[in-house]
Amino acid sequence: MTLAWTTFPLIWVGSLVTTYDAGMAVPDWPSTYGYNLLFYPWQTWIAGPWDLFIEHGHRLLGAFVGLITIAFLVVTFRCDRRRWMQWMALGMLIAVIAQGVLGGSRVLFDSRFLALIHGCTGPIFFSLTVIACVLTSPHTTREQAGTCSSAGHTLQRLSLFTAIFAFLQLVLGAHLRHVAVDTSHEVFRVTVFFHLLMATVVLAHGIALALHVRRHFHDYRPLRRAANGLALLLCLQMMLGGATWVVKYSWPTWLADFQFAASYTVTAQSLPQSLIVTAHVALGSLILATALMLFVRSLHLLQPSLNATSPNHRGLLGVVV
Amino acid sequence: MYESKTKRWSLLFFVLGISIMMSSGCNTSEAPFLLNTVYVRAKKNEGLGELNAAQQKNLADTLNAIFGTPDTPELPQIAGVDFPGLVDLEKLRVAAGPVGRNESGRELGLYRKHCVHCHGITGDGAGPTASFLNPYPRDYRRGTFKFKSTKGTDRPTHEDLSRILVQGIPGTAMPSFRILDEGELDSLVHYVRYLGIRGELERRLIETAADELEDEELFLDLDQPGSGIFQERVSLIKEELAAIVDSWTETQVTEVPPPPVDWGSDASIATGKKWFFSSTTNCSKCHGDTALGDGQTNDYDEWTKDWTLKVNVNPLEDLEKIREYERLGALHPRNARPRNLRQGIYRGGRRPIDLYWRIKQGIAGTPMPAASSQLSDDDIWHVIDYVMTLPYDALSKPQNVPENQREIR
Ligand code: HEC
Ligand code: HEC
Repeated sequence: MTLAWTTFPLIWVGSLVTTYDAGMAVPDWPSTYGYNLLFYPWQTWIAGPWDLFIEHGHRLLGAFVGLITIAFLVVTFRCDRRRWMQWMALGMLIAVIAQGVLGGSRVLFDSRFLALIHGCTGPIFFSLTVIACVLTSPHTTREQAGTCSSAGHTLQRLSLFTAIFAFLQLVLGAHLRHVAVDTSHEVFRVTVFFHLLMATVVLAHGIALALHVRRHFHDYRPLRRAANGLALLLCLQMMLGGATWVVKYSWPTWLADFQFAASYTVTAQSLPQSLIVTAHVALGSLILATALMLFVRSLHLLQPSLNATSPNHRGLLGVVV
Repeated sequence: MYESKTKRWSLLFFVLGISIMMSSGCNTSEAPFLLNTVYVRAKKNEGLGELNAAQQKNLADTLNAIFGTPDTPELPQIAGVDFPGLVDLEKLRVAAGPVGRNESGRELGLYRKHCVHCHGITGDGAGPTASFLNPYPRDYRRGTFKFKSTKGTDRPTHEDLSRILVQGIPGTAMPSFRILDEGELDSLVHYVRYLGIRGELERRLIETAADELEDEELFLDLDQPGSGIFQERVSLIKEELAAIVDSWTETQVTEVPPPPVDWGSDASIATGKKWFFSSTTNCSKCHGDTALGDGQTNDYDEWTKDWTLKVNVNPLEDLEKIREYERLGALHPRNARPRNLRQGIYRGGRRPIDLYWRIKQGIAGTPMPAASSQLSDDDIWHVIDYVMTLPYDALSKPQNVPENQREIR
């Protein structure tokens, strides 16, 4: 739980780094201007330029998330007897280390391509933390489900597809954000087209999912809440996507006859611009995580055996909370 | 049944996702300045020679030898040509190159951080996002700029360029960069000029090459640096460069006379209205009888005309040629739209002095002509008077007409 709650800000700050193109504000890694990450003088950090502030902040937060992941691993090994859960915790630790190294290499090689991958894998780690959250939550472990119905299968399929599409959408979005300087306008155009197409696909799936859950799993509260939340997030995300376009590239020409569009001047790196763009990126991760969460819950619905050996969650809770 | 299907699909999408990820971005190391191939093709369509690949590469190499690369710009080391206050190497180095900071914490790569996705690495105005934007981002390589204080097609002043950077251009995608400090804006202006000078020299060299080169002949054959033709070409470069630099240094702000004493009165507005609808100025022919910008809307700007109408390629008819251009990276030709004057939004600034400059000397690169030869200074002020009342006119905003607003139409 804590892990997910600290990873989400990490995604925000991470995307702020790209919004402000601050990735190269600190040219070395793992040290910051020659200092050990943790011993970089905090006065210089706080008082320094904004991009250095967020880049170094992103590093500190990343290290913090790493520490929590280690704690999570320890707790899982001690309190959770589910073998695969222990594997997952280990996998998460490896993932967070890999993500850190990827971020570091992005700086060392000053590579937009690595930055792009780092931006795509971040949300995956975040999703892992959310899934871990679901799997260790007392809800999941206590609730006895197991309706092996076709409705369950549909749920599973819908949520899996939503998650896959949401991830592809994230990858496309990352392409739009990390455009190479010599990308041709055709390539960008095609990417935008697919980003919009994928947006409708994800939205359609999300809404279908919410309707499906409403019809068949009305009584299963966590599921219902997650599905409704997902649909809501998707609508919000669509609006943010449109807003992102406007704050970066102004209103489309067919609105030019309206006063609000004609008089609008884009302001580079203004507060609304960076907030909206960053929120759009962060919400993308949240959507992916929610879809995966639904998928995991649906698996659990279909295979109650997953929690046959229920963990000692009192111990788990004790440490995590 | 369901599950195996699901698995197969998910595998497919996974592979697809990875391949999308791999397909781009691998070549981000150093973006080169690419030759203005659209212009090369335009010269061919005009009836001049066609440059083969080796000749084009030779031209590109020549330009790189003079101006350096996007990562390490250089100033031309040509005796007799210097850049007094125009392009400063220190400032270029701050604006050019990859994004980052130097040892002393100064931000570098400003152009790539803030401008390149619209204006492109060579300043061709065809960056990745360009095809969605209307108007298209500025192509600096012509040296033509729209919103400036100087005469006709003269180059803009330093203040003109930095004013645009600070204020942005309302109603277009050009952002305001007021977050940047003065030094950073300064560096960017220097870099814009650098790209402009480079682009203009490139155009002139392409013109000469297309005109003069025999088959297989290189513009600058480095194997024969002593030959007469080599020396001739070097001095040609020098002359052209000197002329381009002069056009930037000698540009002058147009003085703005004070408005006439009756400025702002009903009589002044009426005079302005008369001129607006007269056939001397033709304002209403383009901007429309309603001034909604719906008069003549099928013209093109000069950036587009360079490779279309001026070289006998009609954007609406010679579609095959247009497609060839687009394959070379040109943006699809679009009509230049006269401004809707009833909105009271002026892209080049809303002070009366801005309107004076726009109307007196036209908007370079666009169909908007200079009124300097038809109208006296006072009459220009009257026209401005009329233009500035248009947004409050009954047709524009019926509910907003102030009580004391005079009846205009
Ligand atoms: C979001 C896209 C975008 C970005 C980013 C952008 N521009 Fe522009 N720029 C435009 C567009 C579009 C125009 C053309 C507006 C017009 O023709 O009315 C333009 C026009 C200009 C002009 C010409 C003004 C004139 O009077 O003709 C200059 C100079 C300029 N931009 C410089 C810059 C610089 C320097 C940066 C980076 C600091 C930058 N732009 C970033 C879109 C952009
Ligand atoms: C041949 C067509 C044509 C004529 C004649 C013409 N205009 Fe324009 N005008 C244009 C176009 C095109 C633009 C838009 C230029 C651009 O920004 O791309 C424009 C823009 C303007 C602007 C907006 C400037 C800004 O900063 O946004 C004003 C004001 C204006 N014209 C006034 C006039 C007046 C007054 C006259 C008569 C003296 C006139 N125009 C005659 C075509 C014309």
